[in-house]
Amino acid sequence: MKIYLIAYKNLLRKKTRTVLTVLGIALSSWVLASLLGFNKGYEGALNHDIDNMGFQVLLTAKGCPYEAATLMLKGGTGLRYLKESMVQGVAEDHDVAAVTPMLMQAIFDPNKGESGGMSGYLGVDPATFPQSKGFLEFKKGGWFKDPDAREAVMGYEAAELEQRDTGDKLLIPEKNVEITVVGILKRTGTQDDGTIFLPFRTVQEVFGRKGLLTGMGITVRKDADIDKFTERLYDLPDVQVVSMAQVKSTIMSLLSSAKVMVFSIALIAIIIAMVGVINTILMSVFERFQELGILKSMGAMPSDVFKLVWAETMFLCLAGSSLGVLLALGLARTTELLVRRLLPYAPNGGLVQIDWRLAVGTVAAVTGAGLISGLYPAWRAARVRPLDSIRNEAE
Amino acid sequence: MRKLAAVIAILLILPGPAGAAVGCDLNDPDRDVARLFPESTGYKTDYISIKSRGGEPLLRRVEQRLGDKFQGLYETSDVPYTVYSIIKGKELIGYIHGVNQKGVYGGIQVFLALESDGRIRLLYFQKLTSRHAKDLRAAEFEQQFKGLDLKDFSSYDVVAGRAPEGSRLATIKNPAPAAEKDFRAALRGVKKNLILMDEFFFRKAK
Amino acid sequence: MDNILEARDLRKLYHRGSEEIPALDGVSLDIKKGEFVSFVGPSGSGKTTLLNILGCLDNPSSGTLRLAGQEIFAAGRMLSETELTRIRRRVFGYVFQRFHLVPTLTVLENVLLPFAFYRKAGLTTDVERLLADLGLAKRRGHLPGQLSGGEMQRVAVARALVNDPEILLADEPTGNLDSKRTDEIKEVLLEMNRKRNVTILLVTHNPTLARTAQRTMELQDGRLVC
Repeated sequence: MKIYLIAYKNLLRKKTRTVLTVLGIALSSWVLASLLGFNKGYEGALNHDIDNMGFQVLLTAKGCPYEAATLMLKGGTGLRYLKESMVQGVAEDHDVAAVTPMLMQAIFDPNKGESGGMSGYLGVDPATFPQSKGFLEFKKGGWFKDPDAREAVMGYEAAELEQRDTGDKLLIPEKNVEITVVGILKRTGTQDDGTIFLPFRTVQEVFGRKGLLTGMGITVRKDADIDKFTERLYDLPDVQVVSMAQVKSTIMSLLSSAKVMVFSIALIAIIIAMVGVINTILMSVFERFQELGILKSMGAMPSDVFKLVWAETMFLCLAGSSLGVLLALGLARTTELLVRRLLPYAPNGGLVQIDWRLAVGTVAAVTGAGLISGLYPAWRAARVRPLDSIRNEAE
Repeated sequence: MRKLAAVIAILLILPGPAGAAVGCDLNDPDRDVARLFPESTGYKTDYISIKSRGGEPLLRRVEQRLGDKFQGLYETSDVPYTVYSIIKGKELIGYIHGVNQKGVYGGIQVFLALESDGRIRLLYFQKLTSRHAKDLRAAEFEQQFKGLDLKDFSSYDVVAGRAPEGSRLATIKNPAPAAEKDFRAALRGVKKNLILMDEFFFRKAK
Repeated sequence: MDNILEARDLRKLYHRGSEEIPALDGVSLDIKKGEFVSFVGPSGSGKTTLLNILGCLDNPSSGTLRLAGQEIFAAGRMLSETELTRIRRRVFGYVFQRFHLVPTLTVLENVLLPFAFYRKAGLTTDVERLLADLGLAKRRGHLPGQLSGGEMQRVAVARALVNDPEILLADEPTGNLDSKRTDEIKEVLLEMNRKRNVTILLVTHNPTLARTAQRTMELQDGRLVC
């Protein structure tokens, strides 16, 4: 007979109480694991999104945030542009490894949906864009080579929506321009999946935007000081500089206050669960006061009784936290859906990532907190004297 | 403020992810259901694929009934078809189901609003890219399909684009003869849509 | 025969506010190894207090106690709970009025419970034999809830004997049992005393049970009267 077996069987005495306590711990562990998983997953997904943009700094025309909205709503009318000639100047900066010009255009397609919708095209430079997005892989075909070719590369989802294969035609609505699909990208889990890429000169020509760009992606040298570089870029007239590091830190800081709140909730959940643990164990100690005294008369040392009661706490917490982590794992996708609904911006990819380290960490943290909560009941139990229980009996 | 503007910029300047991954969903189900079935009180959404309902044998049967092979990168047995079952009170009054059909210049989303017995209430091309899209999406054209069912399509040859003389389908003329391929693609989409619905629902009910 | 217990002038005072209540008032006695002694007396006469001190469950206020020739309590020396436990687990087995079996453990597991905390070095208790001697062989897999009161007390006796104690202390072991079960326990105690040569100290209100012992001592107001 081992003390742990006795502890386990003790928990079976009041099954409902044990189950309720385990459920309480499970719920708080679920919340904790999901939040930790979200913390990790969100940052990972954001990093992935930002890294997969392929460049660290995006230069756009001033006031672009609003114009970008315009682009979506009105199809580019009233957009403000950068001059293509600026590319050369930026490329000469000593911190710049590469510059890739981009021209985003959208057009109203009356035959999309019941009342029409927008179709967007991203004009990119075949000479520089593929290098800055070296991680993009093709399912079929490859990049267009000619900067003014009537050719397109489609993200996987865009190609699927349009049912396009390489060699198929695309029609730019209103402009009545036919484009041949030359490449279909593999899924990336980023915005690229939904993008139709065209050579930027083709976009300039088709949409009548010769010599103009909506932005340029800048790949910075590894040893560059991005902050100083972005400050230099602001010296250029009428530009908006978006550094990906800045975007990330802004999104993370916007998120951090929300995170403090949710972690407080998790902490409160854990505290409530631990109060539940103390209550359960203490009740069971008081109920077994005489029995614990008898154990002492049988030869149990105070340390044995302490261990026995502490083991009960440990089992409750281990069972509860494991169940909670399993719940978190099983419901990660549901949590993710919920989070996506609640957050104004959620990056692509798994938002809630619970790996084995996080799972073990949660179980360890909750069990650790439980063991601390179990100290007092275990100490009370260890102090019971056989005589006290016999006196109780006499009374 | 500059930072916030930057964030908004990044979120907007990049093209957002394009809709659903593979299936063919209504753009705005709440609004579309209310438009196609004004008397409805609710709807239920199911995702059904050939793979999950019968795998390879079912695919063969669908192809045989269609009179054509499934083609290309995207017409595969694991496409999850979205079926909206339309409810009025507790009663099932119909279905809405769409399929993607490859057209000359892009995907054609062929949606059918079906009565509960499988007859077409309305044909609706949610998306159609063609130089003559306007003609094919015209209400007069789409209205001609009202009341047709799978029987009317069973003898329609989707490869040759021919309906037997005297059949109801033979009376439906291409409103844009220059876009013959898209017209045929649209009819193939309608037939495929009806066959899938028959396999998923009506056949079982019989 | 050697004395296993020698008590001299044991006193125990309880304090209630400023008042001192003598529970034991100078008790001296010798108990021989293998002897079966019962203590009787009215309620509050100090029998249980005496048994607790003889059984090292409690310290006396004064007096000495020698256990197998070794001095345990002497003037001014109080033993800690840990020290008392060390002596208890080596020498004593206890049976109380209530059985205190663990309801989720089987009869066998309850009997083996003391081994979870202590097992005498070199001890080879034949548990099956012990269960058979106590008429529990067929009940070994049952839970306490499936046993009668007499059976439960027999399990408690088996549990008290599993570590092969030299002295068995029984405080009102039949207090919760009817006369038939009382007879059962009486037989068990006698048999254990005879077969295993266990010294038994028994506190009881039951005169029949008390007479089972080889010697009966009566307490009154904390003193031995005969």
